[in-house]
Amino acid sequence: MMYEFKVNQFAEEFGVHRNTIRNWINSGILIAKEGPGRKYLMKFEDYRLLCEKFGREPSLHPENNAASQTITTVPRSDRPPLVVSGEKSRLAEDPSWADACLTCGTCAGLCPISGVDGLDPRKIVRMAVLGLDEQLVASDWPWKCTMCGKCEEACPVGIEFVALIRKIRGARKRAEVPGPIHRGVTMCLERGNNLGIPKDDFVFLCEDLGEELNAGDCPGFKTPIDVHGARVLVTVNSKIPYGEPDKLKWWWKIFFHAGESWTIPSENWDGVNWGLFSGDDEAMKTVVGRIVDNMRRLNCKVLLLPECGHAYFATRLGLNKWYPEALKEFRIVTIFDLLLEYIESGRIRLDTTKHRMPITYHDSCNYGRKSLKAFGQAYSDEARKIIRACTDNYRDMNPYGSGYCCGAGGGTWAMPFAEERVFYGRIKARQISESGAKMVIVPCHNCRDQIFKSLNREYDLNIEVKYIWELVADSLMEDRT
Amino acid sequence: MTDGKKVGSVMIVGGGVAGIQAALDLADSGFYVYLVEKAGAIGGTMVQLDKTFPTNDCSMCIIAPKLVECGRHLNIHLLTLCEVTGIIGVAGDFAVTLRQSPRYVDMNKCIACGVCTDNCPKKIDNDYNAGIGKRRAIYLRYPQAVPLKYQIDPAACIRLQKPGACGFCEKVCDAGAINFTDVEKIHRINVGAVILAPGFEVFDPRPSEMWGYGSNVNIITSLQLERYLSTSGPTEGHLKRPLDGKPVRKMAFLQCVGSRDENLCGNGYCSSVCCMSAIKEAVLAKEHVPGLQTSIFYMDMRTHGKGFDQYLEQARREAGVRFVRCRMGGVETDEESGDLRLRYVNENGRQIEDFFDLVVLAVGMQTPKQVLDLARVADIRLTADNFAATSDFAPVKTSREGIFTCGAIAGPKDIPQSVVEGSAAAAAVAELLAPARGEMTILPTFSEERDISGEEVRIGIFICHCGTNIAGVVDVKDLAEYSVTLPDVVHVERKLFSCSQDSQESIIQLIGEHRLNRIVIAACTPRTHEPLFRETLKVAGLNECLLEMANIRNQNSWVHGNNPVGATNKAKDLVRMAVAKVTFGEASHATTMPVVQKGLVIGGGVAGMTAALNLAQQGFTVHLVERTDTLGGNALNLKYTWSGEHVRTQVAKLIDRVICNERIIIHKEWTVTEVTGFVGNFHSTLTSKNGETKVIEYGAGIVAIGGQAAVPSEYNYGSITGVVTSVQFDKLHEFKEKHVKLAKRFVFIQCVGSREEGHMYCSKVCCTHAVQSAITLKKENPDRNVYILYRDMRTYAQRESLYKEARKLGIIFINYEMHGKPRVTGRGAEIEVEVWDHVLHQPLLIVADMVILAVAIRPREDAEKIGKLYKVPVDGHGFFHEAHAKLRPVDFSTEGMFVAGLAHYPKPVEESVAQALAASARAATILAKPEVQLDTIKAIVDEEFCDGCALCIDVCPYHAITLLEQTAVAGEAPKKLVRINVAQCKGCGICQGTCPKRGIYVAGFTIKQVLAQLQAALAG
Repeated sequence: MMYEFKVNQFAEEFGVHRNTIRNWINSGILIAKEGPGRKYLMKFEDYRLLCEKFGREPSLHPENNAASQTITTVPRSDRPPLVVSGEKSRLAEDPSWADACLTCGTCAGLCPISGVDGLDPRKIVRMAVLGLDEQLVASDWPWKCTMCGKCEEACPVGIEFVALIRKIRGARKRAEVPGPIHRGVTMCLERGNNLGIPKDDFVFLCEDLGEELNAGDCPGFKTPIDVHGARVLVTVNSKIPYGEPDKLKWWWKIFFHAGESWTIPSENWDGVNWGLFSGDDEAMKTVVGRIVDNMRRLNCKVLLLPECGHAYFATRLGLNKWYPEALKEFRIVTIFDLLLEYIESGRIRLDTTKHRMPITYHDSCNYGRKSLKAFGQAYSDEARKIIRACTDNYRDMNPYGSGYCCGAGGGTWAMPFAEERVFYGRIKARQISESGAKMVIVPCHNCRDQIFKSLNREYDLNIEVKYIWELVADSLMEDRT
Repeated sequence: MTDGKKVGSVMIVGGGVAGIQAALDLADSGFYVYLVEKAGAIGGTMVQLDKTFPTNDCSMCIIAPKLVECGRHLNIHLLTLCEVTGIIGVAGDFAVTLRQSPRYVDMNKCIACGVCTDNCPKKIDNDYNAGIGKRRAIYLRYPQAVPLKYQIDPAACIRLQKPGACGFCEKVCDAGAINFTDVEKIHRINVGAVILAPGFEVFDPRPSEMWGYGSNVNIITSLQLERYLSTSGPTEGHLKRPLDGKPVRKMAFLQCVGSRDENLCGNGYCSSVCCMSAIKEAVLAKEHVPGLQTSIFYMDMRTHGKGFDQYLEQARREAGVRFVRCRMGGVETDEESGDLRLRYVNENGRQIEDFFDLVVLAVGMQTPKQVLDLARVADIRLTADNFAATSDFAPVKTSREGIFTCGAIAGPKDIPQSVVEGSAAAAAVAELLAPARGEMTILPTFSEERDISGEEVRIGIFICHCGTNIAGVVDVKDLAEYSVTLPDVVHVERKLFSCSQDSQESIIQLIGEHRLNRIVIAACTPRTHEPLFRETLKVAGLNECLLEMANIRNQNSWVHGNNPVGATNKAKDLVRMAVAKVTFGEASHATTMPVVQKGLVIGGGVAGMTAALNLAQQGFTVHLVERTDTLGGNALNLKYTWSGEHVRTQVAKLIDRVICNERIIIHKEWTVTEVTGFVGNFHSTLTSKNGETKVIEYGAGIVAIGGQAAVPSEYNYGSITGVVTSVQFDKLHEFKEKHVKLAKRFVFIQCVGSREEGHMYCSKVCCTHAVQSAITLKKENPDRNVYILYRDMRTYAQRESLYKEARKLGIIFINYEMHGKPRVTGRGAEIEVEVWDHVLHQPLLIVADMVILAVAIRPREDAEKIGKLYKVPVDGHGFFHEAHAKLRPVDFSTEGMFVAGLAHYPKPVEESVAQALAASARAATILAKPEVQLDTIKAIVDEEFCDGCALCIDVCPYHAITLLEQTAVAGEAPKKLVRINVAQCKGCGICQGTCPKRGIYVAGFTIKQVLAQLQAALAG
């Protein structure tokens, strides 16, 4: 039997954009032939397999056209039974990681990639309950999961999904970690940053950029590298100096306007911490330790927790977990705290006329939901306050409160599962498109790349994406106070 | 306890259905009751409900008679707008302090005309309608409110907030009832005992934003849906999307909102009632909106009560309600359409995105803050879930002696269980205060009966709208206009609710005003409402038999909803017939008979012994008849109750107390073999196992014959030694039998013989029992692997904590409902169990050492025999059928007989005990009175026509007729006559139909009346 479809009809069925369907056809994920009248033809079996891959209930069945939703008793198949050994999972460290599960399905209903590879959060937990550790470690699903914590937030018994997923990821042989995640960790451990930028190159670049600022908007600016006794220590996300160094200037302009005393360390300046993604606690601890060392070496009073959701989360978690004593030595602030401090104290003044288009904000899971759970504070309201100081045309996405992951969390931006990542992002794309915004503000590099480089194109969103600090920098009133 | 004098009055805090039941039982058995209510009217939550499961009775209709009875009971003193601020003293002698908020309306002057409300300019959210729509600052909580007196909400009232302003109500009130200077009052009341029945509040889903509640009005709570479905609700029962008034085509029910959720709300327990109410609401909503699609999203379908599983099956198969086993994590709004988006996984594990017009959140029950304060004032202990702590063997006793509970304060429960507990609390109080019975009560006095024998016929007709139950179908205006034209009718009036208290008062007034001497009530069924209207006639000084009810609701508007014209015509027929019949009605007086103030209890298990002991301690002699040579019954097989109380210790104590009580006469190894008599005067023949017989007399009886375990016929039970029943397993485990001791792998299989064709009921105790056994096994040795294969885990109410503990211990739960029953096969010493995993959707193979089957509870095989003796019915499964599933859960339709324990339906110990106490309280309402008034519908011999042919004697099923030969008068042959034993006569009328000479008739159904009625029927 052949399945005949139009691209937009198929897109609707899978909840994605027709661009995505065309991409699937072009890349051969969707095996179909072009037929007459802008229609495509595919074999029913191929359609079924595609449904399987993305966990969709096939809308057509060869036997009959009735929706299968009415089935109440699921027929048995001839699959050989899985022998339950009774052995406990070594991955689920605590009853609250799996055993307490009610199998209620809340998590599986919420997860944007439920059904992908035939798995979902509930099945992952169930496999842990039944002690199926080997299958869990071998599965790619835990690497497609963005560890966004949406499931965890709603779970009535408080299953620690994210901890379990991270443990599963950590149990995989390092050589088999998908994509560059583990290589990034190794590089960071060896060379001080994920991309292996040498110290001299970095210092030279920073000083050079400082010169440009001095010559341009910020007369008298000099990049403060390794300034002892500076108030605030600032980290850098390694992909900025590597790929788009000009973007460093946004923060620097803000500091300049605020008259901040700040510094960047010349070594171990990377805020990125991929140990969070690969389940590598040792690496995570080392990277956080280096920040503590820099704080001590340079005798700074305030640590600006790294920008980017995961980097903030990993660093704050690491400090709490492994360096509690350091937290007595210095204060930590998030990017939101610092920006609000500048705005509310009047240290920077912002012009709301520079951004007149409709603007919305995407909550990073790490700064929002996950931060609320781990540290008792989500930075949703703070972010909105900052944005409203920069524009009069702000609107929220629906639902506001507990939003959806962009689809690139948990390191998936760097991983080789692009189709799943795009599929995951369909809900975020819908939210953005429904908001009617022409600009999306983000606080995170992964979110930005996913929304701007991926979802924007795939879903024809036609939007600009700015970092929240970029928005602030671009809204600065020129006269320095 | 001190030996001081006991006070014969009781305070009941909370005027919901539980408190009302306790009040009526106590007031009817010799105690004076203060019924304290925090709102302006009694009724609680039940008056907000539309219909009630599993009978689909109109909630207001069945509770209204009880409200009215409470409102006018001589021995019940209603205190509204009151809260308890202090309880000092000891059991038997408490001083309770009440703070009564001002009503600002003088209850003695208010005639409830409603002009004040019409003129009040201030509108606020209507809390009676669960926040839907508005009410005024001066208001009645609901139209049938008891007491029917208006009240001012001081927080909303313009005048009270700003002196000098507004005051319209005062200006328009002709009765001069408005009193803005009303002040708070403090009452100090001396009572012997206190019953706490303050009820619950529903969980507020607003703060947790993920439910979307508050952001989209198409997301409503289950209580709001009740109001939308109700004909007295804000939309008069029309279900539309609140947002835009568009029709509702698809509706979703989300279960466990605010229950079984420790993450979002901290209420880890199960609220017990929401599954059934959702099913009921889905079924009713489908009746309201043809073609409506309803889906219920749930975790476990907890329909563990009597008749519930059958209701579930009917909803699924006949009504077409869709059930999806997936809890929902949130509700989102599609901004364009206002539709509600839900994402869930279906039975294949596929994620589905679906849109609905209306989402109903099944909000759970919780203890409100003011009840926690009350608990503090009362100084009683609470459980971890914030419910009153009670013992399973004394389920209505709190930790403070003399203070009792009933209803949802002691754990989430449904209406029948609340009513049971209301009666049970009454029994417990009566036991405590037995010496003071009758000391504080007032005796009723009715106005003198008017002799109407010389009067011409003057008929009054009252036509009930029953909200829109009748008026929504029947053209009541037309009916009223027609009724006026009927012969001898002098007054016709329509009533919104003819059973409300104000209607009663108005009827009484009109009877006097128009000198009415025959009354027709065109409303509902005499089965539930005739006693109420008879009482009203009595108060009006009219003989109670001059009443006729035309059932234009149950037999008309309810069944002809799709044919209003036909229904209106039929209503006219029914009214015309009633008028014809009542025209020939005559005054008749009930006979009173002395009551044998002794009880009988059949069955010496926990329920039977509890009932017997309670009656004995209330001061009545009790016959306790036990079939075997041992007291204790099924409880002897149990080890612990769900809360961990040791059953055998408690049962041993109970047996000791029963044996030592002088008022209990124990008949071991005897059975009841013959019954004659009637309420207040039963005679039974007991037969011993040797065939000896003896006769006992009693005024009321309680059937507590228990149940028995089914014998499984599946899972290779009997052929594999390791496959045992749960009862067998408990014994093997207790005696540390080698097999159990060495076993490492245990599989429990639930619902063996329950919830399937022929046995469509839940045995209620097995889930909890299996979980408890599994926990014990796992605690003894954590290396053991324990699996529980189930269909729905029914660890209802606070039992949920056990389920959670079991999971945390690593016990694995597998749901086999979706893929069919597990397969059990023997492989040498091992047992292979194959079952499909409900999450992974693949077959699992578990190798086990022991398989434990949760066998069903069945009724005893002699239940039917006992049923026949007392003419009480058993249901399709063989359990005894109570008089009314909701409001008379321990009464039989045969007066004077009651039921308790497993004989009624499978249940755990604490529910058996509560039911036994309830049966005892109900029996005490009969035994406490020295005489009983018999029904007026009795056969009467017309000596003019009876020639003593005795044909009637043979056909009388109650042996109530005897032949009487009068001594011959000189010159004449001796006259023969039959005589009726009015006590035995049930007024069935078979004699009247048999008599060829019109020598016998039944009062209220004379040939003349019936003929007139028939002619009237044919005249249409």
